[in-house]
Amino acid sequence: MTTVAAERTLTDRAESINAAAYWQLLGNLTRREVKGRYSQSLLGIGWAVAQPLAMMAVFTLVFSRLGNISADGVAYPLFAYAGLVPWFFFMNSVNSGTMSLVQYRNIVTKTYFPREIIPIAQVCARLLDFAAASSVFALLLIYYRVDVTRWTALAPMLFVLLVAFTTGVTLLTSAVNVFYRDVSPVVQIVLQLWLYVTPIAYPIAKVPERWRRWIAANPLSGIIEGLRSAIVYGREPDWPLLGVSAALSATVLIGAFVLFKRLDKYFADVI
Amino acid sequence: MSSSRTAIRLERVSKRYRAGRSRTVVDLIASTVDSLRGRERDVYSAARGRIDSTIWAIREASFDIAEGAGVGIIGSNGAGKTTLLKLISRVTWPTSGRVLVAGRVVSLIELGAGFHPELTGRENVYLGGGLFGLTRRDIDRRFDEIVQFAEVERLIDTPMKRYSSGLYARLGFSVAIHSNPDIVLVDEVLAVGDAAFRRRALESLRRMIAGGKTVLFISHDMWNVRRLCERIIWMDEGRMRAIGPSAEIADQYMEQVNLRALANQQNALQSHRGGTGELRYTDVEIVDASGRPTAIVRDGGPLTVRAAYDAGVAVVAPVFQVAIVDVDTGLVVGTAASSPADVPPVVEGPGVLECIFDPLPLRRRHYVLRMTITDSCQLVSYDVVSAGPRFAVTGGGPADRAGDEEDGFVTLPFRFEHRARVLS
Repeated sequence: MTTVAAERTLTDRAESINAAAYWQLLGNLTRREVKGRYSQSLLGIGWAVAQPLAMMAVFTLVFSRLGNISADGVAYPLFAYAGLVPWFFFMNSVNSGTMSLVQYRNIVTKTYFPREIIPIAQVCARLLDFAAASSVFALLLIYYRVDVTRWTALAPMLFVLLVAFTTGVTLLTSAVNVFYRDVSPVVQIVLQLWLYVTPIAYPIAKVPERWRRWIAANPLSGIIEGLRSAIVYGREPDWPLLGVSAALSATVLIGAFVLFKRLDKYFADVI
Repeated sequence: MSSSRTAIRLERVSKRYRAGRSRTVVDLIASTVDSLRGRERDVYSAARGRIDSTIWAIREASFDIAEGAGVGIIGSNGAGKTTLLKLISRVTWPTSGRVLVAGRVVSLIELGAGFHPELTGRENVYLGGGLFGLTRRDIDRRFDEIVQFAEVERLIDTPMKRYSSGLYARLGFSVAIHSNPDIVLVDEVLAVGDAAFRRRALESLRRMIAGGKTVLFISHDMWNVRRLCERIIWMDEGRMRAIGPSAEIADQYMEQVNLRALANQQNALQSHRGGTGELRYTDVEIVDASGRPTAIVRDGGPLTVRAAYDAGVAVVAPVFQVAIVDVDTGLVVGTAASSPADVPPVVEGPGVLECIFDPLPLRRRHYVLRMTITDSCQLVSYDVVSAGPRFAVTGGGPADRAGDEEDGFVTLPFRFEHRARVLS
């Protein structure tokens, strides 16, 4: 197909067809995912915005009005929404990613291609939701008259960290879920608890000193706190906290990928 | 064979599958606890044995397939044919041994497996092509060809959930063969789709072999296997039973299938049974000239069907019918019905009836008998045996003609007469 004549020598390794085709496969699977989710849906992509907005309303009522948590000088809804957008990206990616290999059973057991494309496509599909929710975030920023500072330039780097960590966790849960279906319900419970051990409804500064260490060990803490500092507060992030996040995210991503590639030879047999 | 280079080599390949229910975390914990507390291992070993019981899908398979060869894989269900293709396509990996492959493999284990019903045909061509390693540019270039081959021009912008299963498979096949593979693995997928498409698909596979591609073809249709492939691998319960020239292996295989069917004939009469039951066949046999049961009929020779029956009540003017059905196609190639003169006017108790076709003008294929008993108006069926004894028509008889679906089933009496053309 490609003009280069394929070198045909006997090998016992999986062939690596050209990388371009697999990038496009990732794109196509992402599109398939998005289309499948929003076809025959009235609100369509609007649901991606409704989810964090609804949670923002609940948080504002419970934590700000009843719980008296202050957002350190900015409007609480803005504060909460800034944490909820990356959170829902993470949560939805992991949630749908965990079951993805099992859902795509029919192609996993019938054709060869790099299997990591399937869970990664789930993460990519959630990027669209993330973009939609972010555009509403931009409107909120304008509404609350938040100024752009030089720290805003950090946002893309933090976004990369978020995607890296999310991809790592998704690869891990999707691969293990092939072998033990218990993973999926466990993941759902863990995600529900995870929301509350991440500084989303509250700033990390409000956490008592002796627990803060544990909250900081959660890679999402550094990422979400970092995004808030960079965009909402326009100030320097907490570098040590961010450093821990970056190191953990990289470790999780690399570790999960290595594990995934070791397990994927057995997917078709046990799925 | 257009070249002597090896396209596929299996070296003592075995593949073991776990049988029974899949593991849960509870099993994992249980087995970990077991192994930690060595003392109690015996207590749980029975349960563990069930969980860990395994099936050898492939055992010690070794063979070489040359580039540009067409090779058929035959065998009964569960013989390991599909597992073989999955190993070659890297969908799964061997438990031991090595699978060596040269070049790009496309496996047609299920047509259109990668398609999504919500997407249109056009979008799915790109999605499915991607699964076969094609880039958008590659597909752009071949798009029209793909669509034309599948004959789905009219529906190409319709979501595929509105496609019939035949159309679905056609588009899947078309995308696969246009992905320019070096090796094509086909798994009985041609059973779907209409006859015209099946013929076109076979023709395209034949062209690929002629063009130097390697094709592995699983099928239960011996005639197609023989026409497409010069060699056959016969799999039997995970082991390679034979590998060799198509005609030879196919004949061996069909003979064995036939012998097995013969051994099971008593049971065969019991399954697929219908009718009201006042009058029933108790035994149906095909017998040779000396009256011994057989499953082989020489072409052009006689076929004798001996049917024992038993009537529980007195039955007036029953009609016994014998239909000969082609095994591969399911087509009825001929029937015989008894006339009032052939049987007593009232039948009660046991009896034996013979139906003799002489000569039997059938080609060398495999056939199964469908036996019925009805009343004289053919309104009431007393007995219906839809899968009776099987038999094979083989060569060596007076009319030595090979059977081929396209040549028909029946040897017709004919002659050609030639005259010089007279210009008036």
